[in-house]
Amino acid sequence: MGGNPIQFDYTFVVMIVSFLLLVWLLSSKAWGPLMKMMEERRSRIESMLAQAENERKQADQIKREYQEEMRKARQEAQEVIAKATKVSEARANEILAASHEEAEKIKKSALADIERERDRAISEVKAQVADLSVLVAEKIIRQKLDMKGQGKLIEQFIQEVGEMQ
Amino acid sequence: MIKEVHEELVLWHLGSMTFHAKTLVMTWMTMFLICVFCFMGVRHLTSGKPGKMQNVLEWIVDFVSNLVGDNMGLEKGRPILGYLLTLITFVFFSNMIGLIPNLTFNLFEHFHIEFAHLDKIFEEPVWSSPTADINITMALAILTICMVIGLGVKHKGLHYFHHFIEPFKVFSIIHIIDMLSKPMTLAFRLFGNIFAGEILIKVILMLPGKSVLGGIPPMVVWLAFSIFIGAIQSYVFTVLTTAYISQAVSSDH
Repeated sequence: MGGNPIQFDYTFVVMIVSFLLLVWLLSSKAWGPLMKMMEERRSRIESMLAQAENERKQADQIKREYQEEMRKARQEAQEVIAKATKVSEARANEILAASHEEAEKIKKSALADIERERDRAISEVKAQVADLSVLVAEKIIRQKLDMKGQGKLIEQFIQEVGEMQ
Repeated sequence: MIKEVHEELVLWHLGSMTFHAKTLVMTWMTMFLICVFCFMGVRHLTSGKPGKMQNVLEWIVDFVSNLVGDNMGLEKGRPILGYLLTLITFVFFSNMIGLIPNLTFNLFEHFHIEFAHLDKIFEEPVWSSPTADINITMALAILTICMVIGLGVKHKGLHYFHHFIEPFKVFSIIHIIDMLSKPMTLAFRLFGNIFAGEILIKVILMLPGKSVLGGIPPMVVWLAFSIFIGAIQSYVFTVLTTAYISQAVSSDH
């Protein structure tokens, strides 16, 4: 006894019993519940991650749809503008053509008027000239036509014509 | 030297049986401390945000679970997880309790409380580690080897004993020596480390007279080193237990 630190006795048995009791106690009261809780947390985090992933996917989907709609709307607007432009161009062309036609018509009728006026004036002048001719012939005949009086007669005649016009 | 520092063992007698009183008292104190430690950790168990103590416990559980998972897979190792967790905490706390000064301040001796030799148990300046007693370490080692054989039989049936005569019958001698040396090395490694540590603490405390103050620096260094050794030894004991069991239960044997 005494000096030798390696001595076996019934401490060994007591230790085995005590330790097994400790294992039982801690397993049932500490490690068991603790590990259950950790497992619970693990599964909760897992489900949360899955949910987050799901939500991200949904958000992606919504974003894609939104972008698609935006694209469609833009395209539609483009089409509307293009159509409106075309319509207005056509309308402008139509208006232009119509006014052209109108102008042409007016011009034609104006030309026709002028023509008619001119014809009338000419025919009037012709009639006048014929009248004057008859008058001149009458005057020549009345004043005994001589060589001396010829110049005076022509001058008178021209003067009369000038007054008429 | 050993004779000088290692005083007469305090023994309890029960019939013809003897018990190392100091070792057992220290063992139960250690177990009590572990229980307090663990119950503080699991008092407000939550799967949400864990408290500080719960965090510590979860760290230990994670540590041992990883150990078991690496060695034999968590599914096979789940039944022994509780044992291993208790083992590592017990060995660690045991190693640490031997470094704590005697906080009873010799009050038992002062008031002459001789019940169960408590006055003699607490007469030294520091507490002692249960693991500095070969009975304790051998008990743990024997439990380990019992689990090795028990789980081996549980997982493989009687086929487990077949590996003793592989590849030839002659090899059974080697296998039996192996089987016996496993608990021996486990027990003596832990015992030797911690016992030597305590002896050195006592030696430093025995520095005579004025040089006691000169003992402070070596004491600080040695206590720090002992904490390191204590942690390492508890880890080694658990790892080896895990390794032996995983050897026994692994199917590719």
